[in-house]
This record gives sequence, C-alpha cells and structure tokens, in this order.
Amino acid sequence: MTRTIRIARESVRMMGRNKFRVFIMMLGIAVGVASLTLMMCVSKGAYERVMDTVNRQGPDLLQIRPGTDIQTGLPSGSREVVSLIEEDVSAILQHVGNIRAAAPVKDRKEIEVIYEDKFTLTRIFGVIPVWAQIRDFGPREGEFISEEDISFAARMCLIGQTVKKNLFGDLEPIGRTIRINNVPFTIKGELQWKGISSAGRDRDNRIVIPITTYTRRLFRDMHLTQIVITVEDTKKLNKTIKDVRTVLRDQHKITSGEPDDFAMRTPQDLIDLAYGTSRSLINLLTGIAAVSLLVAGIVIMNVMLASIAARKSEIGIRRAVGARKNDILKQFLIEGLIVSLFGGLMGMFLGMGGSVILSSLDVTASKITPLAIAAAILTCGLIAVVFGIFPAKKAANQNPIDTLKV
Amino acid sequence: MIKANKIEKTYSKTAILTPVLNDITLSIQKGEYVAIMGTSGSGKSTLMYILGCLDKPTKGELELDGVDVYGMDDDALSALRNKKIGFVFQQFFLLERTTALDNVLLPLIYANKYPDDALQRGRKVLAQVGLEDRVEYLANELSGGQQQRVAIARALINDPDVIFADEPTGNLDSQSTAEILDILGHLHQEGRTIIIVTHDRTVANHAQRILELKDGRIAEIKNP
Repeated sequence: MTRTIRIARESVRMMGRNKFRVFIMMLGIAVGVASLTLMMCVSKGAYERVMDTVNRQGPDLLQIRPGTDIQTGLPSGSREVVSLIEEDVSAILQHVGNIRAAAPVKDRKEIEVIYEDKFTLTRIFGVIPVWAQIRDFGPREGEFISEEDISFAARMCLIGQTVKKNLFGDLEPIGRTIRINNVPFTIKGELQWKGISSAGRDRDNRIVIPITTYTRRLFRDMHLTQIVITVEDTKKLNKTIKDVRTVLRDQHKITSGEPDDFAMRTPQDLIDLAYGTSRSLINLLTGIAAVSLLVAGIVIMNVMLASIAARKSEIGIRRAVGARKNDILKQFLIEGLIVSLFGGLMGMFLGMGGSVILSSLDVTASKITPLAIAAAILTCGLIAVVFGIFPAKKAANQNPIDTLKV
Repeated sequence: MIKANKIEKTYSKTAILTPVLNDITLSIQKGEYVAIMGTSGSGKSTLMYILGCLDKPTKGELELDGVDVYGMDDDALSALRNKKIGFVFQQFFLLERTTALDNVLLPLIYANKYPDDALQRGRKVLAQVGLEDRVEYLANELSGGQQQRVAIARALINDPDVIFADEPTGNLDSQSTAEILDILGHLHQEGRTIIIVTHDRTVANHAQRILELKDGRIAEIKNP
C-alpha cells in the first residue's frame, strides 16, 4: 500500500466522519455543474435545430426581396415596393459567377381557391421549372411545371399538402380542376410535404403555377416578389452576395450613397433568425452556470477553510506523528477532488434531467452531448484544484505547534 | 541521546521580539526519565516542542541520537518524528469517531513502509496500556484516562527512542493520573527515554531528573 493510497484512505475516512459538511460542498458543486450541463445541452440543441433549418432551406440559398425590411422572416407584404423585375434575374445569371440557378418568383397570399363546393384561402406562387430544384420543392405526385407550360402560359398547377387536405380530403386531386380567383386550373401534381417554416408559416399551404400564367391570366403584377438563387460553392458565398448586390444596384441605377431598394436574405440571416429564441436562454444559462460555479467554488473554499479551522488539532496530531506538509496537502486535495467528482456527477445527472424536461416541455431544443458531460467533469475537477488548493495549502503550512495549542 | 547547546527561541508575533528560551544548554541520556517544570508561560512546552523536533529554535545547536537536527528540512524532521519520537498531549488529540485501534495505527500511515503486522502491533501496544478489551471502541466512547492511554499506545506504535509528554495528566482525575504515571514509569523501566513537561511538582517527582525553567533559563533542581 503506497503512501498516497494510505492518505487517500484517510481522506475518505475523515469525510465519512463529517457527512453533512461533505454534502454541503457536493451540493454547491452539483448546482454549478447542473447549470453548466444544462447550458451545454441547450446550446447544442439550439445549434442542431438551427443547422437543421438552414439545411432544410439550403445553406446555398439566397433570397432577394423588394424593399429594405431586412430582418423580416415574414413576407414583406409591401406591394407598393416594386423594384425587382425579370431582367434582374437575367442580369445576375449573366454577370455574377458561382451561381448554380436563379429564378424569379411572384406570389400573392390569401387567394380564394374553389373546388366544387369547397373553398380555401391559399398562397399562389408563379414560378419557373428550376424553382423546384432551388427550393428543393419538387412534386410528390405528378409532374412539376414544364418549359412548355411556361411558353403556353398553361393553366396548370401543383398543390401543397394543406391545400390538398382542405379541398380534397381523401380524394385523388391530380387531373381535377380547381378555380383560382375564378380562373380554372388543372392539377398536374402534388407538392412535397414541407411542414412549418422557421418563421412559423405553413409551407404546405400553397399552390404553384407557371409564372407566365400568373402574370397573363391571374394578376397583372409586373414586379417580382422574390428572386431565389443557389450558389455553386458556399465557401464563396460572401463574394457572391457582394456581386449580386452590385449587379442589382447597377440594374436599378442606384447611385452610391443611396440605400438598396431590395433586401437579401442569406443563410447567416437564417441562422440568426432561428437562434433567436434559444439565444437568450443560452445567455441566461451561461450566466447562471458561471455564477453558480463561482459560488460553488467559494462554498467549497469556505467550507474547507472552516473545516480546517475546526480540524486544527487533527492536522496538528498528524504532523506530530510524522505527516509531511505534502501529506496534509494531499489529504485535503483528495477530499476536494472526491467532493467535486461526486458533486459533479450529481450535477451532471441533474443537468441531463433538466435537459430532458426542457425539451419534452418544448421550452427549447436541448440535446445531451458527450461534450457537455466532458465539460462538466473537467470543470468540477478544475474547481476542486483551484478552490481546494488554497485551503489545502493553508492546512499544510500551519505551524504544527500552533495547531496543538489549546 | 539529546544534546542541546545554547538554544534560543524568540517569537516576533508583534513588533517586540519576545525571547521565550534563552541560552538553553542541556543533555539527556538514553533511558533517562526527565521532568521539565515551570509555571505557565515559562516556555516549557516550547522547549519540549523544540526537543521533539516539532518546532525549530531561533538559534543554537540540537543533536538527537548523534544527528544534527538544526539543519534538517521539514520533511526530514517529519520522518524523524515518525520514527524516533512519540508524543502525548494534555488534550489527548485522538481522532474523534475513530476506533482506538485506528487511532493507534495513525503514525503508520506516514511511515515509509506500512508494516504487514500493523494490526498485531496495534493490538499489542493497546494491551501494553491495558486496553486490550477496548480495541474497537470509538475514541469518544472512552473515559479521559482511557483516551490518554490510547494516546500513549499511539506514541509507542513505532517503537520510538523518546517519548515526550506535555502535561499528560493535566486533564485527568487523581486515579487516572496515577495510572498514566504508572504506565510512564513502566515504559522507563523498559529502557525508554521519557521527557515529561508539567507544572505539578508531585508529577515531576516521578522523574529521575527535574529541570526547572524560569524566565527562559534552565536550572537543574533534582539530579540523582
């Protein structure tokens, strides 16, 4: 049995003599580590959700809208702002590199759609075939809009899953005729199921028609409501954004010093938008974790200092019978390590429990990760050393005769 | 066994230097039973701690068993205390809620090598002080006299050359005092060196030699 093992056994034995003190120290650590673990889990959960959103929308997607309301995730809705035209798309394709595809989009919301005696309000998108690839929004059944449909301004449409449910229930919609704004359209396909967007919009409540049909047979809107672009190389995204902006300013004859009359939404904006709710929670938890770890450290330090004062004669007698300073130091450091290890484990499970509760109550996305566990264990080890070493040194360096005085 | 030459000890806790021990020269032979007497505050405990290598003199030479102690570092002194010196204190200083046996074995934790026969040795020294039937009792379950006997057993576990006892009977009733002095007397007869610090003349009279400390200086008052 080596000396260190003997001393470790003494640490454990003395801790067993003073369970309440040990419990208080562990509790301090546990609270700190619990909030740390929870913070890590929540930020990991939020990160994954954001990345999921970005990947769903496309990390290579640029959206351009008329007007300047940049931060909005909602449709700008401001019909008065008219700036984008189809020539802008051609100009972008012609002058900007690194573009995989670009498509003009026109849309209007809350348009009346009728099938026999059923009625619904939905959003109508006028698009071109490449739009399906750009938005990864192809047909689930049937076929997407073709170049021929564009040329002939065909009254063909694809319906989203919500529209299908509202108008047809269990019926097979393909081949049937619906009336959009009182104009008859033939359904040639169903759109894929997409769910709710990061802005909380139902992405399945829509009907897609050829952009030419949109302009000639439904609404006489000459201006675009969106241009959507995908880039080839996402690493060059920032340069591409700059180039697109230059081309558009040029097209719109905006002199330098004047603001843009269009707004671009990039994957980064999407990240910012999607982080929104979780970010404040993460900040809060980070704050709590930092404060409570500090408090835990101070608790440990003070309880250890108090216990050293109370255990003066224990330290004195150990020194008198031959304990070296280093032996006393080790005894107290091991005590601190054990306390923070078990307190840390306690806190880790508490934090993981909190993570499960938070995500099951849908307060925020939260995910238990090995990183969170590693961080928690590392932190409490660090706390034990940082806050334990001062009292332990103090204990070890006491003059033995002072500790043996009455 | 112990040779002290011109030992001085000064405390400088305040700005004023207070000399506690002044020019102490003494020599104690192996197997002697010596009492150091003095009123409270006379520095007798300080002298004992210095002789017992728990404290260092400010000045002077100290030799233990032919080894110069003055220049040793703290670790070497700790090892020395562990091997060669046993302490008994007025307050017993046992670990609470710990068995008599575990208390007795405490010095072995800090020995260079933990002996294989530790338990037998612990039981043996406890038997030596008449506590063979109290081995597994917790320290706080024992009477004062019994606790002091455990402390003596603890001092004996490493078979030391010298036993220092600082007012060992100061907290005990007369019957326990007699028992403890009896045990110390036996240990002396077995050939151990015993140095006892006391203010009590009747206790000091059990020793062969009495040294009296007064104003930090020493005077021999009983020498066989």
